[in-house]
Amino acid sequence: MAWFRRTADERRQRALRGSVRGPLAEYLATPFQADHRPLAEVEFLALDYETTGMDPDRDHVVAVGFVPLVGGRIELSRARSFVVAAGVEVGRSATVHGVTDDDLVGGVALEQAMEEVLAALTGRVLLAHFATLERRFTRAACARLWSGAFECQSVDTLELQRRLIPTAFGADPAPGSLRLWAARDRYGLPVYKAHDPLIDAIACAELFLAQADELSGEGSLTLKSVLAQS
Amino acid sequence: MALDVELSEIRDFLARHAPFDTLPPDVLGKLPRKLAIEYYRRGRSIITRGRDNHSLFILRSGAVDVRDDQDLLVDKGEPGDAFGAITLTLGNPSAFEVSTIEDSLFYVLPEGEFRALVAGNPDFAHFFDELRARRMGGAVARLQDSGSTQAMLKTSVRDLIRREPITIRVGVSVQEAARAMRDQGASSLLVVGDDHDELVGIVTDRDLRNRVLAEGRPGETPLREVMTERPITGDIGALAFEVLLEMVGRNIHHLPILDGSRPVGVITTTDLMRMVQASPIYLVGDVQKQQTAAGVAAVNARLSAVVESLVSQDATAEDIGRVVTAIGDAVERRLLVLAEQELGPAPVPYVWVTLGSRARLEQALAADQDHALILDNAATDADLDWFARLAEWVTAALVECGYPRCDGDVMATNPQWRMRLRDWKAAFTTWLTEPVPDAILRASIFFDMRPIHGDVGLHAKLANGILKQSPDARLFLAHLAKAATLNEPPLGFFKGFVLAKEGEHRDTLDIKRGGVGAVVELARVHALAVGSPALNTQARIAAAVAAGIINEDKGADLSDAFEYISYVRLRHQAAQVRAGHEVDNRVNPDQLSSFDKRHLREAFGIVRSAQSAMASRYPTNFM
Repeated sequence: MAWFRRTADERRQRALRGSVRGPLAEYLATPFQADHRPLAEVEFLALDYETTGMDPDRDHVVAVGFVPLVGGRIELSRARSFVVAAGVEVGRSATVHGVTDDDLVGGVALEQAMEEVLAALTGRVLLAHFATLERRFTRAACARLWSGAFECQSVDTLELQRRLIPTAFGADPAPGSLRLWAARDRYGLPVYKAHDPLIDAIACAELFLAQADELSGEGSLTLKSVLAQS
Repeated sequence: MALDVELSEIRDFLARHAPFDTLPPDVLGKLPRKLAIEYYRRGRSIITRGRDNHSLFILRSGAVDVRDDQDLLVDKGEPGDAFGAITLTLGNPSAFEVSTIEDSLFYVLPEGEFRALVAGNPDFAHFFDELRARRMGGAVARLQDSGSTQAMLKTSVRDLIRREPITIRVGVSVQEAARAMRDQGASSLLVVGDDHDELVGIVTDRDLRNRVLAEGRPGETPLREVMTERPITGDIGALAFEVLLEMVGRNIHHLPILDGSRPVGVITTTDLMRMVQASPIYLVGDVQKQQTAAGVAAVNARLSAVVESLVSQDATAEDIGRVVTAIGDAVERRLLVLAEQELGPAPVPYVWVTLGSRARLEQALAADQDHALILDNAATDADLDWFARLAEWVTAALVECGYPRCDGDVMATNPQWRMRLRDWKAAFTTWLTEPVPDAILRASIFFDMRPIHGDVGLHAKLANGILKQSPDARLFLAHLAKAATLNEPPLGFFKGFVLAKEGEHRDTLDIKRGGVGAVVELARVHALAVGSPALNTQARIAAAVAAGIINEDKGADLSDAFEYISYVRLRHQAAQVRAGHEVDNRVNPDQLSSFDKRHLREAFGIVRSAQSAMASRYPTNFM
């Protein structure tokens, strides 16, 4: 388990040395952010996938939305979203994310979607609510498309929320209190009715701004203090 | 679903709030993609006073305070409100401080995008004009707030003290005390201890007379024996009003004033008299008592001091205008009475009317004479001679009182403006029904007419006739409206110059012509159009609002703009009085604070937009 103690950037360099090609190689060529950098200087990419399920080996990404967070500003002018034509049936998951099989016909290929994601993520830290999902599906897609290892730095607003909600000694937070919309409600952030990957990414980025502000108190935070620990 | 490429959550939020609700759907749909989102905790500054701002901040959730350069709250913002438009439209740096009072999320529109929206969407642009006008209203409200307290009641003892007290040690003789009073020219001495500076007594002229001379006591008598021990004192922080009551109540003529236990001055009944004389009520009372024109002139010389004191007490321009008008009326009325005493009784009934700013209750300093005579129809040609002499007498006396003759010869001395009622009716009918542009410009002053002395019924008959005709006199109103839009106020100020239209710069601001006068003319057209007897500009604006030809918000804006411009003008004139200069209407931009310049610029903007509204109400293309 020696790799576990490697820094994210060491893992990136290791992945880059592997037999990696194309857009993934370009993405990995850019160094990751130093842990001690002030948060205000770090660029993030709030990313949200709609998937057919939770298992990256069996399930598929059907829609992607992302928006950069630069210097404390969520830049809507650089936000993107698209449906992914995965060549699979959406099935029952349509009831959750609203992406129907008809929509998928008009979508972009997974390869093109992932190229967009990697390009936008270059030099940035991945930001998501329950970031494990986005990380795993990106990793699975990269392995299939470019037979290489996807590495990234990530911040998980769900994990931050767990840290921020005061609970009795080690007890788990109340069920549902960590969900994106419940977490936002705690900061008085607006209620967005739509369930759309871009709106979810924006909602996550807004939540992160509020969380970072609460965590920093009157001081200033470094990237290390919010990075996900995996 | 198809993806929400337009970010409908954000678009729909904007669509629910002004001014974004005025944008066409295609523009609105593209707007979210032009925004950034920022989050600020409670207590953070969004737009900082004195710093530049280059964004429009639209509050999505949370709340903000807007404070002005005095750190007074001028506005509070709730979700849907936008901030920063003032610096984006009027220029940096910001005069306002916008800070969060709750954790707040903002949609941030960059300056370039804001300008593009303003340029392409007139309704959107108009909204921000109105927003500016509301802030302007706040500035006026503050002026009036501080002016609501009576001037007299606000004068403090500190303001009345004219010099250091003359003190003397308690161990001296009455002769030494009398010498000190002679040498210092003092009518009283404060007596302090031999070894300390605390007040132990007071001695006055009256004490030396009553307790020394009249009693036959020698000059060596110790002062201690004739002084008033432990006198009643006043505190330096007290109001003059309180001290006045104390002195009148106890019949005291000299009141030592202490700062703690230290004597700092003496207030005398003379000081209080001087204060009271600066009150307009006493001035008007004194005018009525005068038996000669010279006497009236002497009393009226106090007018500028009254105005100066009212301005320094922050009275409103409207109130000051009324006071100056009331004094002017009193002077003119008294002179007419004196003239009648000298010339003998009038052969037929008549009424002396005042015209222009005094008729509107808006007289400023530096006003010249504007008056006319309306005579009963029974007046014979022989009777006219008596009125010619009356006019000459009063006009000359008014000059003596400091009111110069009218340049345009709009005075009762001009036979043209000394007519029988039926001739006046004919003159007005000609103006109203066969308007000739030049003649109307010269005649407009006669539509601001108020009776001063004589048979007011004569004036009422004339005024009623005018107001019956004026609403239907379309061509006349159109000419008057055109004239009212000619004197455009300047755009603002730039590097110490007045920025007029076409980029032209002027050294001074003619605050009468393009400011006060422009509003006066607009209000006059409105009042005549609705047949309102109102003369005062504020009352005329109110009448136009009541009649529905100006909406309430625009009327309130115009009122505020008029008040603000008038206030700046009065303050300028009061400063000239104080400096002993001739009073005029030309303001040097260097004398204006940045607060004044900004609000004047806003006020001018309101006047210009009222002028363009009038221009479209009375199209002049058929003239």
